[in-house]
Amino acid sequence: MSALTLDHLTFRYAGAEVDALHDISLDIHAGAVTWLLGALGAGSSTLLLVSAGLAPQHTGGTRTGRVVALGTDLGSTPDRAPLAGRIACVTASPLLQLSGVAATVWEEVAFAPANLGWDIERIRRATDAALGRLGVSALAARAPATLSGGELQRVVLASMLVFEPELWLLDEPAAALDRPGRGMLADMLRGEARRGAAIVVASEDADGMARVAERLVVLEHGRIAIDGSPDTLLRGEATWTAGAGGTAFAALARRAATVAQPAPPLLLPPYPLDLSEAITRWT
Amino acid sequence: MDVTAPAVPPLLLAGVSVVYAGAPTPALRDVTLNVAPGEGVALLGPNGAGKTTLLRTAMALLRPTSGVVAVMGRDTRRLAPEDLADVAGYLFQYPEAQLFERTVREEIAFGPRQLGWAPDRIRDATATVLEELALTPTIDTHPYDLPAPRRRLVALAATLVSAPRLLLLDEPTTALDRAARELVARVVTRRRAAGVAVVAVTHDAGFATEALDRALVLEAGAIAADAPLEAVLGTSAGIPALPPHAELARALHLPVRSLRLDDVARALSERCRAGG
Repeated sequence: MSALTLDHLTFRYAGAEVDALHDISLDIHAGAVTWLLGALGAGSSTLLLVSAGLAPQHTGGTRTGRVVALGTDLGSTPDRAPLAGRIACVTASPLLQLSGVAATVWEEVAFAPANLGWDIERIRRATDAALGRLGVSALAARAPATLSGGELQRVVLASMLVFEPELWLLDEPAAALDRPGRGMLADMLRGEARRGAAIVVASEDADGMARVAERLVVLEHGRIAIDGSPDTLLRGEATWTAGAGGTAFAALARRAATVAQPAPPLLLPPYPLDLSEAITRWT
Repeated sequence: MDVTAPAVPPLLLAGVSVVYAGAPTPALRDVTLNVAPGEGVALLGPNGAGKTTLLRTAMALLRPTSGVVAVMGRDTRRLAPEDLADVAGYLFQYPEAQLFERTVREEIAFGPRQLGWAPDRIRDATATVLEELALTPTIDTHPYDLPAPRRRLVALAATLVSAPRLLLLDEPTTALDRAARELVARVVTRRRAAGVAVVAVTHDAGFATEALDRALVLEAGAIAADAPLEAVLGTSAGIPALPPHAELARALHLPVRSLRLDDVARALSERCRAGG
């Protein structure tokens, strides 16, 4: 069953002259990582906000078409109670995601389970486990407001991981993370997909996501330009044509090709995906 | 500018320690640092190493528990951040921490207005910086109606508009797409060429390689390394790896002038032509 269905979805922010999303139809399946890529302003963040039921409800603007998340039609059902504790939405501004009422990181992560009415032993176990998986157990007693950006991002992720969501919506979750943090995030996403969650990640980090995502959806001016396998798409030119960029080695090959005209065949697609492929190709 | 005058270091830290109230260990430990005009310093280290604390201390947003901080020769111990507004610009990690006006135009004009600039000068400087960051079409937009990445560029524009001699940037390229990251790298490079000193906290090795050349590594609040960037990237888990094109240049022993993308691309192009 589809965890998230967008059906002829169109969305426009108040006062905007163009649609932020235009006639998007998309089925997101459980148990896989779907990666959204697009140029700045292509609509990835808006797609996540609409899917989470945050737009237009909290942003204003107008929406047509249907959004069905975990079986609940977000347009026709004002009652969100059936979705409580089932959707994790990590926005691009972690600073705005703290509950604001927790005195410590531990309480912050325990906040959602406590509101879901879990018993204290279960809250304790789940909170400790989530902190551990994001590598922030040592911060448990700290005040959330004193955290650095990367620490804050890990805590926000832990505060969602803790309630085992069925649908993850993440906007640039690796942005503030260091290398170990990025590794933990990739492990977490893969683990969550194995557990059966549906995962949608908007990310500009093509090199990082290439190894994590099963499906790549490229947005261009609010429309779906491409939908396919990252492994295939990132070797070609299509993501670049859509203004969405691509991997570092594709960027390098394309830059090198502009220096030498006509470009040597070795600099043309298929582009290598990782360092070992690049070394094989260009040795 | 009087070229005969000895250059005042844009940023000087001597024996600076910072202890947060209630914290068991210092956030900064005996940090000594001298940043010269035109220098580009990448502040590296794992999450929680003290990078943002160092940046905030440099801008007088935090007071050192001990030690001295001087910005353009001004001892900051009795100064507030606004006393440095004419010489130093600070980009917060999250633009929500610094944007509060109703339009991009007002947001950019806020700093210069506080500095008492004439309206004409403010208008010209605003137009120039918005053009440079490809933000001109957003001038009448509410900053919070912009997508988060573009909001970051607005915050950067607000930081640059008053032509500071010292730029303190906390993760300036986070969540930007490739084109915008390259734009920010060009803007920083241009400022450095004009003598502006830049200290940037970053996990973006690509940006660092393009725009900066000195690495300062913090670990648990202390300076663990102060060396050329290319020698430091990838040397420990908490430090960004070399950008992929630079790893390739090393692996293939490409004869490159630097590890910047353009230089590696040129060398790779020659290799491919020679190899058929």
